[in-house]
Amino acid sequence: MTKKILAALLAAGLLLTGCGGEKTSSDDKSTFTYGTVAYGVAMENAGTNPHESYSGWSAIRYGIGETLFKFNENMQLETWIAESFEQVDDFTLKIKIKDNVTFSNGKKVDGDAVKKCLEHLIAVHDRAPKDLKITSITADGQFVTIKSAEKVPALLNYLSDPYGCIIDVDAGITDGIAIGTGPYKAVKVTDTQIDLVKNENYWDAVKPKLEKITVKSITDGDTLTMAMQNGELDAVQGLPYSSLQLFNDANKFKLSQAETSRVYQAAFNFKTPVLQDLNVRRAISMAIDKENFTQVLLSGNGTPAVGPFPANLNFGDTKVTAAPYDIDAAKNLLAEAGWTDTNGDGYVDKDGKNLELNYLTYTSRQELPLLAESAQASLKKIGVKLNINATDNYKTFLKNGDYDIFSKAIVTAPTGDAEYYFTSHIVSGAVDNAGFYDSAEITALENELHNTFGADKRSDIAIKMSQQVLDDCALFYAAHLKMSLVMKANVTGFNAHPSDYYEITSAVEKK
Amino acid sequence: MIKPRYKPLIPYVVAAGALIFVAIFAPFLTPYDPYLQDLEGALTPPNSQNLLGTDRYGRDVLSRVIMGSQVTICAALALLAVITLTGSLIGSICGLKGGRVDTILMRTSDVFLAFPQMVFAIAAAGALGGGLFNAALALALIGWTKYARISRALTLTIRKMPYMDAAKMAGTNSLGVLIHHVLPNIAGPVLVTAALDLGTIIMELAGLSFLGLGAMPPTPEWGAMMNNGRSMLQTASWVVLAPGAAIFITVAIFNLLGDKLRDVLDR
Repeated sequence: MTKKILAALLAAGLLLTGCGGEKTSSDDKSTFTYGTVAYGVAMENAGTNPHESYSGWSAIRYGIGETLFKFNENMQLETWIAESFEQVDDFTLKIKIKDNVTFSNGKKVDGDAVKKCLEHLIAVHDRAPKDLKITSITADGQFVTIKSAEKVPALLNYLSDPYGCIIDVDAGITDGIAIGTGPYKAVKVTDTQIDLVKNENYWDAVKPKLEKITVKSITDGDTLTMAMQNGELDAVQGLPYSSLQLFNDANKFKLSQAETSRVYQAAFNFKTPVLQDLNVRRAISMAIDKENFTQVLLSGNGTPAVGPFPANLNFGDTKVTAAPYDIDAAKNLLAEAGWTDTNGDGYVDKDGKNLELNYLTYTSRQELPLLAESAQASLKKIGVKLNINATDNYKTFLKNGDYDIFSKAIVTAPTGDAEYYFTSHIVSGAVDNAGFYDSAEITALENELHNTFGADKRSDIAIKMSQQVLDDCALFYAAHLKMSLVMKANVTGFNAHPSDYYEITSAVEKK
Repeated sequence: MIKPRYKPLIPYVVAAGALIFVAIFAPFLTPYDPYLQDLEGALTPPNSQNLLGTDRYGRDVLSRVIMGSQVTICAALALLAVITLTGSLIGSICGLKGGRVDTILMRTSDVFLAFPQMVFAIAAAGALGGGLFNAALALALIGWTKYARISRALTLTIRKMPYMDAAKMAGTNSLGVLIHHVLPNIAGPVLVTAALDLGTIIMELAGLSFLGLGAMPPTPEWGAMMNNGRSMLQTASWVVLAPGAAIFITVAIFNLLGDKLRDVLDR
């Protein structure tokens, strides 16, 4: 027993030593250490080869590579490696490459290099061929011409997805290192760390300022917090919300935030008989206290959501409406649907059965269990009993259909276009349509969207589709995530971007 | 009148009894509804209204710790009862019967013993899909082996006792021998082992919940409460320290009780 007490005391001692100590990393202004929760095997983005799974995100995020086009703060397209483009016809796109772009190995980027890269991409990548639907690519000097098998109105957006990062295919990929055109080049890549050095051949006017950058994957929020506190890191992404207040001292730290299109949503399972009643779905949607969820539980690091897309997008939250938070109205709707508390147990019932629903979610996104518990408490107010199953084994339950509500986090517009979200989550039979929502209006609108060119026209259709989903109360949307980067006060040029994939750029500097 | 040799046990029995009392009557002892959220009063530090403060949902931490005692202690006791009974039954049958039954059951237990207990429990609870019941089931799957081993060894030593022969000569069937002669005679050492094990089981259950494989929200289970508050250790430490202290005190009391019980019974 004394041994156990001794062990406990020693463990406590260790914990305290872990918290203490003001150890600062080198104050060398040319090196930069960045801690992130978003890199690693679990995120499917280990390595820097954009033609493999989600590793393109790492290539773009850490300044190794660039795409033909990029998104601005409003998620609108701008040129990057490309200088201009011309939509020749519905199936043909002609792109001109900037004349002065070079890979980090000094080789010039011309039409032929881009052609080789894209051909390799569609030959080996899992998602790209389905998005791009390319039949042929031809190169001529600084021009590339892309022909698609069918109309792909969002082709430019898809080319700006991180998988479209232009790399030197001829140079090959050795030890996970891809040769891109970015301000930094990788020298060592492992599943937990990327070491970068300045790209001396960087083409753009703004040259990289740092000699060496180390990107470290630290997936435990507490470890990340402490590493930032004791000065081991210069900047950090993915801190737990409750830790952000530790970095309020403006003399020591800075915060950069951006609203992203990551949404916390919950889909109603239309195979559950009680949920086939619109009034029940609407009542549940109206009982979710989004304001308090974002303000208190996310500590203000999010905005209450109306629909699937954030307000900074043209087809975002300001253009759609959803039933407001109103407990009394929700109770009335349930009563209209025949659900009242006849036996006084606090839960509404019909034909002798309580309204009890299984709520499935997972824990690897820290916000989801918080949403689950707050939804459970809110729904209790209208007499609906929610049984939460928060497990990272959720795919088994999904497969077995063992849920009435499924809540997840999803980036709805990774390429600034809405179609991806609808085809993957909303249209009937879509792979991630967990609620088996089936609407003729949605199907018709999706057909229209699929054949419509022009950002404005596409936005109009996307708004109609989002509104249809909200009118049908097929899902409820709780919040859009604000991503936060915390950095030391002397770091400049390091800003959060709504796309979630532009982090290290040539502007990053330590003053 | 309590026999003098049992006297050293009294303070521990009283403390353990008090814990079990709190666990059983928890719903009547909580000052507030342990499930009631009040987001406006979230993360209030300990004060005269909320003696242990509130958590991030504005729920009273003291009420949740008290309610958590029911979940943690009762689940641990139930689990312990199940593994002690099944383990002893299997062990004593093996000891009595010997032969093929013994070989099959003991080799099966060897298979389970080959895995580190917690690693096996994590894998099993993960495969079963979380939840307090599944976590307990995972621990039960591997927990019975220890009791089977102990009771088998004890049964082997008493098998040759004259009273066993006497029972058989009097025509008692195998079941009768097991229930009336074997189990009562091996009960002492098995109970001491169980008392010593209770603390470990509470820790293991809390451990699985801490890893997200045990109690599901909003169940106020101590391990799960600690996990939920983990990221607030620096900003709202009371959310973590309260359930942590509860686990520490409970495990210490049951371990000390087990220690003393062994001292007294081994004398």
